[in-house]
Amino acid sequence: MIQYVSIVLMLIGIYGLLIDRNIIKIIVALNIFEVGLNIFIVSVGFVSGGVAPILTSVNSNSALIYVDPLPQALVLTSIVIGLGTTALALAIARKMYNAYNSLDLDEIGGMDND
Amino acid sequence: MDFNALILFMVFSAVLSYLVSKSNIKLGAYSTILFSLISLIILFLGRNNIGNEFSLLYMNFRVTAIGWYFSLIMILIYSMTAFFNPYWMEKILYPSSYNFLYLFSLAATVGLFFAADLITLFIFWEVVVWSSTFIVPLGKSRKAAVVYFTISSIGSMATLFAIMFVYSKSGTFDINEAFKFLASEPLTATFVFFTFITAGLTKIGIFPFHIWLPLAHGNAPHTFSPVLSGGLVKMGAFIAYLSVGILPAYKAFSTSMTIMGIPFQIYLLMVLGAISIVVGTLMAIKQDDVKKLIAYSSVANGGYILIGILMMDQVTFAGSLMHIFNHAIASAAAFLTIAAIAHRTKTTKISELGGMIHKMPVSYVVYLISIISLAGIPPMGGFVSKWLIVQGLASKGLIFIAFAAFFGSIGSFLYVFRPLAGLFLGQLAPKYENIKPSTLVMKIPMVILASMSVFFGIFPKYLLETIGEIQTSIGIDPIMINGDTITTINGVLNTNKVAAIFGFGFVISLMIFLVLPKSRKVGLMDTYTSAEFIYTPELYHYANSFYAPFERLYKNHPSVEKFLGKFAVKTEELGILVNSLFFSHKPSVTVLWVMAIATLIFLGGVDI
Amino acid sequence: MTNPVLLIVVPLLLAFLSVALKNNKKQLLFIAAVFNVVGVFIIENGSYVIGGFRAPYGINLNLDAYSHLAVLVINILFLLIITMSNEKTKEFSTVLLVALAGLNGMLLTGDLFNLFVFLEIVSITGYILSTESKKYKYSFNYLILGTIGSGLYLFGLIILYAIFGSLNMADISFKMLSYDTGKLVVPIFLMFIGLAVEAKLIPFNGWVRGVYGNANSLIGSLFASVYAGTILFVFGRVFGQVLVLSEYLVAVFVAIGVITLIAGEVAAFSKNKIREILLFSSIAQSGLVALLFVTGLIFPTVLQLLNNIITKAVMFTIAGKISDDADTDEADKLKGIFANNKIIGVSFTVSALSLIGLPLFYGFYSKINLLLGLFSKINYFVAAFILLATIIEGAYFIRLLVKLWTPGEEGKESNIKFVTDRKVEFDFNKKVIAFMLSLIILLAGISPSLVKTNLFAMNKLLNEENPSYMFELKGGM
Repeated sequence: MIQYVSIVLMLIGIYGLLIDRNIIKIIVALNIFEVGLNIFIVSVGFVSGGVAPILTSVNSNSALIYVDPLPQALVLTSIVIGLGTTALALAIARKMYNAYNSLDLDEIGGMDND
Repeated sequence: MDFNALILFMVFSAVLSYLVSKSNIKLGAYSTILFSLISLIILFLGRNNIGNEFSLLYMNFRVTAIGWYFSLIMILIYSMTAFFNPYWMEKILYPSSYNFLYLFSLAATVGLFFAADLITLFIFWEVVVWSSTFIVPLGKSRKAAVVYFTISSIGSMATLFAIMFVYSKSGTFDINEAFKFLASEPLTATFVFFTFITAGLTKIGIFPFHIWLPLAHGNAPHTFSPVLSGGLVKMGAFIAYLSVGILPAYKAFSTSMTIMGIPFQIYLLMVLGAISIVVGTLMAIKQDDVKKLIAYSSVANGGYILIGILMMDQVTFAGSLMHIFNHAIASAAAFLTIAAIAHRTKTTKISELGGMIHKMPVSYVVYLISIISLAGIPPMGGFVSKWLIVQGLASKGLIFIAFAAFFGSIGSFLYVFRPLAGLFLGQLAPKYENIKPSTLVMKIPMVILASMSVFFGIFPKYLLETIGEIQTSIGIDPIMINGDTITTINGVLNTNKVAAIFGFGFVISLMIFLVLPKSRKVGLMDTYTSAEFIYTPELYHYANSFYAPFERLYKNHPSVEKFLGKFAVKTEELGILVNSLFFSHKPSVTVLWVMAIATLIFLGGVDI
Repeated sequence: MTNPVLLIVVPLLLAFLSVALKNNKKQLLFIAAVFNVVGVFIIENGSYVIGGFRAPYGINLNLDAYSHLAVLVINILFLLIITMSNEKTKEFSTVLLVALAGLNGMLLTGDLFNLFVFLEIVSITGYILSTESKKYKYSFNYLILGTIGSGLYLFGLIILYAIFGSLNMADISFKMLSYDTGKLVVPIFLMFIGLAVEAKLIPFNGWVRGVYGNANSLIGSLFASVYAGTILFVFGRVFGQVLVLSEYLVAVFVAIGVITLIAGEVAAFSKNKIREILLFSSIAQSGLVALLFVTGLIFPTVLQLLNNIITKAVMFTIAGKISDDADTDEADKLKGIFANNKIIGVSFTVSALSLIGLPLFYGFYSKINLLLGLFSKINYFVAAFILLATIIEGAYFIRLLVKLWTPGEEGKESNIKFVTDRKVEFDFNKKVIAFMLSLIILLAGISPSLVKTNLFAMNKLLNEENPSYMFELKGGM
């Protein structure tokens, strides 16, 4: 069930990328895509009936059914990468605003299309 | 001397002449003359090398009789043309590189003719193409170099495909062995035949690949045009020979449909050769620029050569090989006289020249002899070779091709006369009153080449005996020659008698000329037109629109050039379309493509 | 000193140091590049475990003949490029150090998720480097597309993880052999999209024109040779050796490769600016190399890849410098510019002719090998397309070379007076290194056995049947 939600989120993100012209909105759409992706990754590791993969005083037996911890580690990396990319994108957006005084991709000039 | 060292020597001589030119360009040009003459002597004396095999790094060579023959012609043309190099050194933008590439392309052609396996053949072929491509733009046209290289690439890539295909089927690259398996597979043999010979067709300039000849030969530097037209074009004839001689074409096609006794694959190419003869002749007749005119005549003569080689029989093949020699020296001599004129007058357009016979008599005689040979009129060498080719065609019953050959011969009278009358005869324009004749160094090669044309027309046996040996080494019956009499099925030709008759006729005309009173010479400007004096000699030049009534007959002819030009434009437009579809600067377009392609692939590939 | 992780860690460490030691950034960059080149010669093949957990539970670095050659070439080219354009490296030294670490990581890693991380590192450095031209719209485009691509790669990878339970390259390869790969179209294609965006395949390469077309000599050559080479080596690893592809996918990938090849060449034919011609040629060559890896040829493809990246390093440096000094890179305005820069002109010419594949240059040797490989796999149509692409390539390169060497109007002889007014001044570094590289191309073309026997990694690649170490790992997991 949650996987369908994540796929819908990814599609919303891509839809946003397809139709948005405002730079900030594109970055937001990109983030929605990444959120959907991260949720999907975590959901892959789910084992029904499993508990969090941490040895605590309550769950101290290592033979219990644990949720797969690897995807959770992957997601941490992915979130950080997404953070870095978003920061860079916002920096570039700031530079574009300084140069062209507009946040609309269509209005910003640049090399002619052909 | 062994030929192992010959090719290496030629490559090093190229580097040496580059270094010499860096210090003194005239000296560098003289060094090209020296080195090419040395190579000529080594090759000529080394005839006993035939049959040797040697290798250099990973390239293997084998000296064959026909390879020796072709290389001799090539070095002869290069060395004779080299005599003109010193006079062009100031005009050329990169003189040292010119000298280097000149000798380097020569070394590569010799390597090509002695190649023992297909890869070596292809390597040297491409080296000749790219080294000559960089000389052509030093002349008048940059576009010519691009067209030359592109059309040559089309041929080379088709041949490379054929070579790789043959290797994958037969397991070897050796020229003698690789094609043997085709003798029993007609369909594969047809495919390989057509792809392999394409490089030869593009190099000779057979219709529809002929458009680069007038562009490149016409616009190349004046000292390189003779080499291009007299020399490099013959490389294509070598590939054509390989496709019919080494590739067992006749055996492989023995079960195919035949047209007039010839397998249809070969007949198709002979038809292309015939079309080249007609197109070349017609286009040559209407040219104003002499170099382009001679280039079109090379197209026509290339057609003759191709037809003869494809026949692979006793008479026509010998005629073709002899025509290769005759056309090379005649065409080179013609281009050299044009170069001599251009050196003094700075132009090659017929409508701007005239009356050069008064100032450059030696060039006139050389040019006269060359065009007589090109047109195939006795007693010059060209007559013998064309006679042989037409004899062979007629005896096999190939009417239409023989008709085209005749048409070419007759048409050639028209186009060789136009520059003769336009350049040399007629009135000398006032601005050329003070030009000097060609220098002694320039006269040497012109006289040598012209005398060779005459000599081999009267005594063809020296050439034909060598050609006979080549034919035996290939496996066809050698041409029957006895002293100076050539015997074919349909007729007998004794060149001594023909030359004697012509000599006799010449003497009679000379006596009549000397005895009868001379006509009075009147200056060009000494004329009176309704109370006005004339001031512009150019308008009264009778060589303007020389053949206007005849040219009007085929004024609106379909043109391969226009077709290929449109093709190039369409390719560019396709490129612009690709650009706008895929390379926009908004992420949304690419994301759309990504989603579309992904959806398509998933729908197509997922097992539901 | 034989653990290849130092190739990744030392540049990274120096990158952090360079933030502190701002004045010595260039020297640190140079030290790291030299260290890496030296290091490549002393590391030994094998599988190195990172972090103490044995593979497939942990991450390992995989140094076999293939990645050894890749690391060798990429590090040497990196050093040569930053030496050639070292006046431009000052502001980007930190980024370049991180890029060096990331590139080596991509080539050495044995784990698919680790590959994703390094791919992101390299991409982010790419985005930052592309902002140098101050044309932010193109960098933004590149960033968005690159992030989407990597995201899709991760998506596909996670699906694979869900099916096989492992992220290790050798492990997944082993497990895929006994699985019905017809069901794996979705994840494999998603991973393909991820790598294809960076590898410039159509239709995922909308960003290339803006970024490469405005890059200066340092960044253009880095992108076209080092980055392109790395991503193609990785492509070859992932799609040629790790993943087992079903026939449907092979057909799709070959089709995409062929379309990229032809479209790239045709687009280059219609262009006039030097950098645009070169970038479209790069796109076409990427398509060619990608499709050759997918058909299963390793050795000839690596040869062609090397041909592409060495020649592009030379040509992009020259093109970038020309456009810097002369303010334009339109060939029509730069006629005859090589008349005063003969050494650079010769290097450019040798590289262009090698790229077309003319004999006596290295490109011919790689072309013959790949044609032999294709014909032995009875793949005639692909060979025909490659030869067609060569014809188009020859046409536009000769047109460009003729314009740059021999100026003149049609109908008049080429003369020094037609040479353009714009002057370009090439410094010593560029001349020496460009000339040296073109000499290597010439020597390798005249005598390829020199290359084969002397370059030790080449030797191993040629002699081993299965040059990929992972095949050995599969047995002893």
